[in-house]
Amino acid sequence: MIQLFHVSKYYDRRPALSDVTLEIEKGEFVLLMGPSGAGKSTLLKLLIGAERPEEGQILVQGRSLSKLRPSEIPVLRRKVGVVLQDFRLLPKKTVFENVSLPLLVQGASTTEIRRKVAEALRSVGLDHKKDLFPPGLSTGEQQRICIARAIVNGPIMLLADEPTGNLDPYLTSEIIELFKSINARGTTIIVATHDPNVLAQVNRRVITLDHGKVVSPAQVAS
Amino acid sequence: MRRLLYLLREAVANVLTNRTTTLVAVATTAFTFACVGVFLLLYVNLRTMASSLEQDIQVMVYLQDDLTEQARNDIEQQLKVDRAIGSLTFVSKERALADFQAQFPSESRLLQGLGQNPLPASFVVTLVAESRSSDAMRRWANRTQLIPGVSQVQYSQEWVEALAGIVRYIELAAIIVGVILSAASVTIIANTIRLALYSRREEIEILGLIGASTTFIRVPYLLEGAALGLCGSALSLVILKAGFELFRHQIHSATRFLGVDALLTFFSFDMCLVLMLVGLFLGCAGSFLSLLRFGEGRA
Repeated sequence: MIQLFHVSKYYDRRPALSDVTLEIEKGEFVLLMGPSGAGKSTLLKLLIGAERPEEGQILVQGRSLSKLRPSEIPVLRRKVGVVLQDFRLLPKKTVFENVSLPLLVQGASTTEIRRKVAEALRSVGLDHKKDLFPPGLSTGEQQRICIARAIVNGPIMLLADEPTGNLDPYLTSEIIELFKSINARGTTIIVATHDPNVLAQVNRRVITLDHGKVVSPAQVAS
Repeated sequence: MRRLLYLLREAVANVLTNRTTTLVAVATTAFTFACVGVFLLLYVNLRTMASSLEQDIQVMVYLQDDLTEQARNDIEQQLKVDRAIGSLTFVSKERALADFQAQFPSESRLLQGLGQNPLPASFVVTLVAESRSSDAMRRWANRTQLIPGVSQVQYSQEWVEALAGIVRYIELAAIIVGVILSAASVTIIANTIRLALYSRREEIEILGLIGASTTFIRVPYLLEGAALGLCGSALSLVILKAGFELFRHQIHSATRFLGVDALLTFFSFDMCLVLMLVGLFLGCAGSFLSLLRFGEGRA
């Protein structure tokens, strides 16, 4: 489903990713581990077309991202759910409005929006808070709203960049369980994190990055 | 439909979020447009007056005194086939004298003292509209002057040329001021939109992340720019109309200009619509410039 062939990305001539080759199957739950600056966020940005690699090729569902025209990037992003550490919710819009945004930009009908938003909020356990505004919610609830927004349009994959960075261990467990249940429904999940609590709770494949290269966990430790 | 409502709501939200900036932008744009409008009004009125005066201008073709009947008829025939001439009236020496006596009865005794009628016979010519410009009139007069038997061709040359010159200068000034102030309006609107973009950059980033197209992101800001331009130009028309009525009232009150106020005209309804559309277009252009500089939807 996702294939990277000898991908390199530089910022000011410094390599953020260097000759990365990897493959992620449909329906996989992958942890992208590594210290800060290892290249985890850069890899996620490449997967949503926010950045382009200087070298190599990225294929998503067999389609090369390097060959996407600028007008095709929004189409790619509609198939990908993104969860970020700082939630990125709009404070002046209600929970319902925040979660409905991806459907709205796709031109979904009012009925469809109501049904899918209710479904997404139910799956994160917050359907009773649809009329509240994000600042009135706890951090754990805000992250769950962010996840609801990411899954509302049934994406093929969910990318999460340090999703538990602002959460305590209890809330971290809640969010990981939520990811597991979303993954169980067939969505490919890639979680970039340096949080060992996440690693302890997710017994799945781990890709470790260090200084922009894929390495074995032992190499990072050394 | 829901998407359209969302875009409109966002445009209104943009305006409400930056209320003070929006009001300042509309007011500044209005005064800027009003400055251009003053020149346009001046130009429109002078042109109207110029064409009205041009219609009244008559050219006098004076004939030599010793001209035979046959020679006079020949000249009349030549003038009749001239396409530049709209109408032609012959004024004999006797008729010229009678007219003079009727117009200036107190001075008519002076002519009686001369013993003979000193006034020449003439043709009073009105030129067709295409030949009423100062250049065309000068060319026609020079050409007619060469006809044998014609002693002099006279018209209010200086007045016509001075008026044409003023209209040209006003036209040039209106164009220069218009271009400069329109650029200023675009800049003012562009800065207002840029403020809106920066205050909502996080929302723009989120929209980009969830797959909103560039058009979807841009439309509310383009609508806001268009609304600013439209409101600015509409307000400028209100200011201009108020100023115009005040000026006309002042002119009317001054007795020596009585009648001139009737010649003054404000922009026609169509012209007002065009000016508002220009405002709307400049507003959109300002927004577009800001969006290009901001570079949304590219991340």
